[in-house]
Formats: sequence, structure tokens, C-alpha cells
Amino acid sequence: MKSIEIYDPAMCCSTGVCGPVVDPELIRISAVVHHLKKKEFNVSRYNLTSEPDAFVVNHVIKQLLTDEGPDVLPVILLDGQLVKKQSYPSNEELEEWTGIPASELTQKPKVRIELKLKSK
Amino acid sequence: MSTRFDPLAILRTPYLFFTGKGGVGKTSTACAAAVALADSGKRVLLVSTDPASNLQDVFGMELSNHPAAIESVPNLFAANLDPEMAVEEYKAKVVAPYRGILPDSVISTMEEQLSGACTVEIAAFDEFTTLLTGEQLRSQFDHILFDTAPTGHTLRLLQLPAAWNGFLEESTHGASCLGPLAGLERKKDVYEQAVRTLSDHLETTLVLVTRPDRTPLLEAARAAQELREIGVTHQIMIVNGLLQKPESEDPISSGLYERQQTALREMPEALTNLSVFHIPLVAFNILGVASMRQLFKPTEPVSLEAALKEAPPRLPSLSALIDDVEQAGIRILFTMGKGGVGKTTVASALAVGLAERGHNVHLSTTDPAAHIETLFGTDAGLISLSRIDPKAEVDQYRQEVINQNAELLDEEGLAVLEEDLRSPCTEEIAVFRAFAELVERSQDQIVVIDTAPTGHTLLLLDASEEYHKEVARSTGLVPDSVRKLLPRLRNAKETAVVIVTLAEATPFYEASRLEEDLKRAEISVRWWTINQSLAASGTEEPVLKGRAVAEVPWIREINKRAGGQTVIIPWRPKEIRGVEQLTELAHLH
Repeated sequence: MKSIEIYDPAMCCSTGVCGPVVDPELIRISAVVHHLKKKEFNVSRYNLTSEPDAFVVNHVIKQLLTDEGPDVLPVILLDGQLVKKQSYPSNEELEEWTGIPASELTQKPKVRIELKLKSK
Repeated sequence: MSTRFDPLAILRTPYLFFTGKGGVGKTSTACAAAVALADSGKRVLLVSTDPASNLQDVFGMELSNHPAAIESVPNLFAANLDPEMAVEEYKAKVVAPYRGILPDSVISTMEEQLSGACTVEIAAFDEFTTLLTGEQLRSQFDHILFDTAPTGHTLRLLQLPAAWNGFLEESTHGASCLGPLAGLERKKDVYEQAVRTLSDHLETTLVLVTRPDRTPLLEAARAAQELREIGVTHQIMIVNGLLQKPESEDPISSGLYERQQTALREMPEALTNLSVFHIPLVAFNILGVASMRQLFKPTEPVSLEAALKEAPPRLPSLSALIDDVEQAGIRILFTMGKGGVGKTTVASALAVGLAERGHNVHLSTTDPAAHIETLFGTDAGLISLSRIDPKAEVDQYRQEVINQNAELLDEEGLAVLEEDLRSPCTEEIAVFRAFAELVERSQDQIVVIDTAPTGHTLLLLDASEEYHKEVARSTGLVPDSVRKLLPRLRNAKETAVVIVTLAEATPFYEASRLEEDLKRAEISVRWWTINQSLAASGTEEPVLKGRAVAEVPWIREINKRAGGQTVIIPWRPKEIRGVEQLTELAHLH
């Protein structure tokens, strides 16, 4: 079984909504990771701020950080091998790596439910 | 009639929370109670969780977030949970193991992320729950008193354990916005215990401190209600500064007496079933241990010899300030200061004064305990009113983000997004955006902003700096209003800050600290306003006169600090309500 590891830069939250502007790229990646997990694909995501251990334990990541500094992030490993750095993978790249069609990774629900936000 | 407050008879539980609107004497009451309990032989820890704490001023010593012995009071220890300091310690703890292992550049990106609003909240919260659940502290002390922050902040702090527990249970995708506390789940037990302790009658007493005045009583009722709802049901109330029926014909004191009695008679219903105690109005300021020990003793009759030896310096009134603002062409006007000093009233009077001279004025408040509407009634004349309500702003921001991304995500993806949007730092961002938009209005109107109590304002300003760093980095669409905000606030031709204070030690010290912090943010103060001055009121009643005499050195001190840019507003027996009275205030000479 293949595995994908995503090493995020130092972030407050995985969707980036805590930042001054919402980065659609982060939202796309959150959604894709979510879909991959649902399909029981082996995918993990690490945030430098909250899980620095993961960055130290992995030799590839640690070496990259030492050589190139924090701007190298995000880094993506496929089966432990470096496949992408400095940006997140496109849906097409993910399709190539996982064998799951891009359309399924960004799949829209058949029935749309209205999301009502509770205000407490 | 209520009984007089006696800490030894009334305060029984190990945990004692003091809460109340800023300026009601919450800190003094908590300190005096702590001293009384310690004097009786109990081992007592006094903790401040106020971002703008003044425990240090009261005891005249530096305090940290670790309990320190108060020298002059055996058995008494005090700690100050300064969120900023907590963040520094938290940051150091998180980052330390990776120093020398990861490059410095990487470490600094971690540190930057750990400086945001989320971490401040989490670090403060973490310390708070540690204190509330610490077995060791519990066995070391008979009583732990919390001199909590002004009401809004207190509520947030107290609601956190409940809210976050819900958050943890509902959290489905793990890596949420609570990232900074990745090990949060491990601490779940601690939070649950904190919630249990808060709602246990034998463990916790909530002491609502208020003044016999309408607004603080309303505030107390709101706090009582909201805390009751989250399970903190063991509540008592202390009415601080109650004036005994005056014997003299002095109009100021009989006015005050009437006003207090009316306020108590018309006390909100949420308070009527509480045990109510009172502390009489005393003729001295509570500063230092000796005066605290005096507070619960029968008051010594004040001799009239203590009368004003020297008249207070003659200072101009509010109209001088309005003249200056008008002539200088100021577009953005802030009133700042400790909670309870009357920022809202001063801001409103300034707005009324400017509107009267034909200016188009917008008045807004960021104070969570806003009472602008009650101040103006239904008729604000030419002034437009608004209010930054954090809850409403957050809701709006959430909805906006959800709408922007609705096309991109399925309902589960949206649920994940929604989850992140519920984190504490989202509120800071939402409020900040609203703030920036408000300042933007100054192109067409003079904008008068009555800011939140000191501590909160500082966090807001601090957040704005963080925000600007992120704005500079971000490639996304940043609203123009946000980009221009800080330069605008720094421009003394456009923006003026008016510090509002009382002629008393604590508000003055806090205001001075605020001025320092503003200086650091490169924002200068144009005027100081001494509000509710008894010395300027001409009262002859002994207790009030005692307080008036105590004001004089502070009036000099303030005027010195302000470099002569000071206006003074005399204390008025009638509560200020409605445009007419605000106009009167603006016209005083």
C-alpha cells in the first residue's frame, strides 16, 4: 500500500482560516486529504507548529530543512521519497500517485445540505 | 437592608471567584478579603487573571505567574496570570527541545505561529485550569481567590472549559485550529475536573462585585445569569461603596445617596434571590495593606480638618478638548482607559459636541459591555451609532468564509472548515476586520471609538501587529482598510487618543501603562481626561470630602504626566442619560 506524507509549514490550523485571508489552496488540500482518508488511503499530514517531532524524526525532512530552511515547506513524500517541495500537489499529481481519479478526490456530494451555522 | 460584608463569616469555599464590571472595586475587595482571611490564620493564594492586572500596584511589588509570598501579610501568596508572560513560557517550552536540532530559521517560523491569538488564549487557559485543578495547590492553600478580569473576559475564560470540552468531543479530523495544543485530548480530564470544580457548591463561590449604580448592577445581573447557565450556581453579591444616609444638606452627597438607593430598589430580577452584602463607602483609597485592613472595620469618623488645604489645579473642561480636536482636523478619535472610568460617556459627549458643531460623526464601541444604546436612548440626533459585537462579527466572518468555499467543498469538507472556524483565534481576526472597516469610515465622518477595557485593547492592538506581519507575507486579497489601518492610527494629524482616568491610583497606573504600550506601537496620546472628579464637584459631605482630598495629588500627577493636556469632568449626582445631558457635559466650562 502506497503512502503519502504531507509536511506543512508552521501553521495555526490546517485549513488556514485563522490567517488574515483564507487560502483556497489549503482548503483544497484539507478536502483532498479528507477524501483520501475516507478511501482508506494511507495519508498523513504534519504541522510544524504542533508536531515538530515528525520533522525531526524523518531524515529526509530534517535534511531538507537544514539545507534549504523553512521555505522548503510544504514537502510531500510518496512512500518515503521526496516527490514535491515548496507547494502542494495538484489534483492530477495526486491522481498519478494514488491511482484514484482526480474527480473522486474533489468529489461533490450528490445531495447538498444547507449548512446552518449555529451562533451560540 | 443587606448585611455588611465580613469575609471570615461569608467566604467558606476553597475557590473564590470575584467578578464584576471594571471599576467597581473588584481587585480591592478581593485583595482586602484575601488579607482578612490570611490574617485569621488561613493560608491564602490570590490570583489575577486580568490581562491588565493591577495586583502589583495594590501590593507594591512585582508579581509573576508563580505564587510569591506577600511580605507584609503572613500566609498570603499572590500570582499574576499575565497572558503575555504565559505565552512566552509556553513558547519556550514548545520550542526548546528543537533548538540546535532544527535550523534557527525553522525555529523562528514556529515561534511566529506560536505568537498568535490562539496561543495567548491557550496558554492563559492552560495556566488557569492548572490552578483550578492542581492537587498540590489545593493542599497547600485553604483558599484560592481569583481576582478575575472584567466581566466579558471572565465569562469567556469560565466558559472555555465547557466550550472546549464540546469542541474536543465533536472534533473529527484531529488537526484542527487548536494545533498549538496538539496534546489537548490528553488534558481532557483536567478540563472536565475544572468544570466540575466550578459548579460544585462546596468548592466554588462566585462573588459578584458591583456598585450601587444602575449600569454595574445590570452588568452583575448579566454575569450572574450567564454563569448560572454554565453551571456556576453558587453566587453571592457584594455591593461596594454604599453611602450611609448623609446628615448634612450637601447636594452632592444627597444626590449620590438617592441615586444609590434608587438603583438598589430597581435592582434587576436576576439578582434579587442572591445573598447580598455591602461594603460602605470609605473616605480613603484602597492602596497598600494598611488600607485593606481598614476596609472591613467600622469607618473612623472623618474630621473636617482633612479639608482641602490646597485647591486642586484649575483644569479646562471637555469643551477645550472638543475645540482642539476640531481645529486640528482630527478624523479618528479614541477614548481609552481602564474599564469603568466612563470611556463610553466621554466618547459619547465628544461625539455629541462635535456633531453639534456641524460635523458628521460616527460613534462606535468595541466594549463587550457596551451601553451606548442605553446612554443615548432612541434619539442619537445627527450621530450614527454602531457597535463591534465580537459574537456577531465572528458569525459574519464564518458565514463569509463558508460561502466563499461552498463551491469547492463537499459537506464534510465544509464541516471540517466550520470546525476550524470555531477556534478562539477566529474571533480576534473577525473583530480586527470590523475594526479596520470602522476606521475606514473616517473618510466621510469623524469616527469616535470607545475602545474595550485596557487589557483587551492591548491584545487587540498586539494582534493587529501580528496581523500586519501576516498581511505582508500573504498573497491573498487583503482588504485595503486593513492595509492602511496601522499607518493611519500612527498619524497624529488624523488620529487622536484621549486617555480617560479617575483621580485615583489604580486607574492612573493602568492608564500610564496603557500610554507606554501605545508609545511602543508608535501611537501618541493627545489628551488626558479626569472623569467623575469629586474634588471638582465642590462636595462638603465628610466621606466624599475625604475622597476629594485624596484626589488632589493624583490630579497633579496626571496633569504632569499629560504635560498640561488635561481636562477635568466634575462628578455629577445624576446619572448621565440622553443627548441633552451629554450636550451639557460637552458644554461644561
